[in-house]
Amino acid sequence: MDEHRAPSLERILRPVHRWVWRDAHRCARKLLTFAATEADGGRDLSRAAELTTDPLLRRLFLRHALDESHHAELFRARGRTMLAALGGGGGWLEARWLTPGERGGDDLRVEDVKDASLLAFLHLSEKVAAARFEVYRDVIPDEETREVFRRILRDEVFHVHYTRTQLERIAPERHRRELWLARASRLWKGYLRVATALAGRLGTVILLAQYFLVLPLFALAAKRAARRERPGWSERQREQPTLESQY
Amino acid sequence: MRILGISAHYHDSAAALVVDGLPVCAIQEERLSRRKNDSAFPLAAVEWCLDEAGLEPEELDAVVFYEKPMRKLERILVTALRAFPRSWRSFPQAMKNTLGEKAWVKGIIASRLGVPARKILFTEHHQSHAAAAFLTSPAREAAILTADGVGEWATLTEGRGSRSPDGGCAIELLRELRFPHSLGMFYSTFTAYLGFEVNEGEYKVMGLASYGEPRFAEQVRAILRPTADGALELDLGYFDFHLSGRRAWSSRLVDVFGPPRSPGHPLDLATPDGKRFADVAASVQRVLEDRLVELTRALRRETGLRDLCLGGGVALNGCANARILNESGFERVFVPPAPGDAGCALGAALYADRIHFGGRDRPVPDHAYWGCPVDAGELERLAREDGLEVELAPGDRALVERVAEELANGRIVGWMDGRCELGPRALGNRSILASPASADMRDRLNREVKFREEFRPFAPAVPAGVADRYFELPPGGARLGRFMSGVFPVRPEWRSRLGAVTHVDGTARVQVVDPEVSPRFHALLLAYGARTGIPVLLNTSFNLSGEPIVARAVEGYSTFRRSGIDLVVAGRCIVAKARASGVRREEEAVS
Repeated sequence: MDEHRAPSLERILRPVHRWVWRDAHRCARKLLTFAATEADGGRDLSRAAELTTDPLLRRLFLRHALDESHHAELFRARGRTMLAALGGGGGWLEARWLTPGERGGDDLRVEDVKDASLLAFLHLSEKVAAARFEVYRDVIPDEETREVFRRILRDEVFHVHYTRTQLERIAPERHRRELWLARASRLWKGYLRVATALAGRLGTVILLAQYFLVLPLFALAAKRAARRERPGWSERQREQPTLESQY
Repeated sequence: MRILGISAHYHDSAAALVVDGLPVCAIQEERLSRRKNDSAFPLAAVEWCLDEAGLEPEELDAVVFYEKPMRKLERILVTALRAFPRSWRSFPQAMKNTLGEKAWVKGIIASRLGVPARKILFTEHHQSHAAAAFLTSPAREAAILTADGVGEWATLTEGRGSRSPDGGCAIELLRELRFPHSLGMFYSTFTAYLGFEVNEGEYKVMGLASYGEPRFAEQVRAILRPTADGALELDLGYFDFHLSGRRAWSSRLVDVFGPPRSPGHPLDLATPDGKRFADVAASVQRVLEDRLVELTRALRRETGLRDLCLGGGVALNGCANARILNESGFERVFVPPAPGDAGCALGAALYADRIHFGGRDRPVPDHAYWGCPVDAGELERLAREDGLEVELAPGDRALVERVAEELANGRIVGWMDGRCELGPRALGNRSILASPASADMRDRLNREVKFREEFRPFAPAVPAGVADRYFELPPGGARLGRFMSGVFPVRPEWRSRLGAVTHVDGTARVQVVDPEVSPRFHALLLAYGARTGIPVLLNTSFNLSGEPIVARAVEGYSTFRRSGIDLVVAGRCIVAKARASGVRREEEAVS
């Protein structure tokens, strides 16, 4: 697996990863999150298999989907074993954004992309995931969890390899272009995610300001009205609003 | 009249088309988008319905949305105001959720479908549930009870429906219970407390309940208590769902029942914690059933009617439905195949047709098969492309004999026939079938196909004519079994021979198969019975964990390839898994 050497950013972040994986509770919950991500990835790939018209790609996507389901099961089983051994409690910070799973922050809508674009996306995302998993494998303190990553990394080699060869097969003239487009698309989606998150925060701040500045008087009235309500049945109005009304 | 019904934006969105008073088609968005419980605006479902009927949107006379969005917004806003300032965390999220799309339904329908705004109508949420329950039933006159988490304000309604000899219809909802007092929210809160996903894990609570003792029943009764006028009231001190978007229960609930189960935590029934969770589930289930029986008994006394139509997500609770049938005094209980929000698309369209436009009543075909048909040719093509052996049965008889033989030999069959079901149950058109004989088959299905918790039972399917021989069906039980809506005891003498479908408490959620509705499935059951002596099959939905039930042949094929299913059937096309796995061929092809 060393052919996919961890990118420099991941290597720089190695001490952070080491810190994240040091806490056993956090480690167990992260594995369960990874399990959910892998299962989602498996579903995306099975959908891709259902949509493609290329029989070989269909078979490969199905195989890939099976691998992802298997990875999900490995992560889930290990996470549950750890949680069962640890009992309740534990740290609250999962640090998901610091140590993402296989697809990382990437999202995939297989219905919206052609086979070549999908293969380019998968190739990049598998390659990044393999490098990341390699770092996790090295920094995780317990041997059994390391073994889970080792087993998964063996499949990742195949995934990185087949996505590249198939991309070259179905788009011999433009496979490099597809890869660059996929890189650009990942960057754009990353920007969109950040922008959306920022807009969301901004919206929250504005709504909270309204909540505390505008609503208190209305809240008082609403609480008074609530106190007047008696428990039990409410009779329905004899005159029901017509179907034209949204209210 | 051509009326399109739409439900969307909460969970499990759907579209349904009613033409001249009869449903033409209805499908959940998830079956087409392949995203489980897809709550997005059901554009794919709408487009499919219109294509199926050969209609353009402008040819529609009305588009009916299944609830009143502005009244729902009012409820959300008022709930936040009442909880001020404790609602400060949930308020921004609730507003963003609602103001993002949910409040602008009229504009969205008008712009996406290109229909004029004047043609867009809105039923109330529980009117839609009531219509889906009553107008699809064969009852002339019936009491109606609908219960779910929450609609606009109502969480539970009672009323009556009637059909007059002149073809007129009436649905009158007499009273309602209002948010936050809600049977659905009560059950969902405990679903989340037990570590299961809300709107998805409620079946698991019901399955888990059979493993426990209701030793917390008194405490639960104190939380969900009757009011002086015969309604229900939640002790809100135990809940936070109306205050915070973060957690549904309060610390008081944890004080009484102990720490909640983390979603990822293993559920081991041999441990004290596992036993406690099963006991909580049993207590919650018991109290839910008791309260529903009390409500329906009172409704029976009040209306004097013999039939009851149940709607809303709570009507998916088969154990409660069986107790209502046994103990309420109603002689027949009707639960539609999709009593939840998906069925509201059909309910809203029928309500508009019969009540709003005054359309003449027409009996709605009494089945669940309103979705897209399966294309056997597609399965044949896919299998041939992948080098699998394809067998085309010369006729229906040859097909059922061949499949029955495989089932009798212990093989697991993915069975696709006709149009897919509306609602959460696979009723023999998109089913995984297997021998019900031994618990080993249940374990194999859990391990190799469904990948789900061991405590969840599998359902049996049995021909209507012999259902009584194997299951203790009370009068009216076969009707509930039509859409797998009731849980009934397996007769003790058959339990050991129906080990894969008999739950730990000796019950089963049985499907009673009518030969007129599902002739091929019925014939298959008989053919299987002729070989094994018991015409009962294990019937579970044709999907893998976390995926919607398959709709088209390609999805059935993909599920077949990714699981331990031995044989997949679409129409008369049969494909078996190759003995030697072809998985490595792909790797060879790549290298």
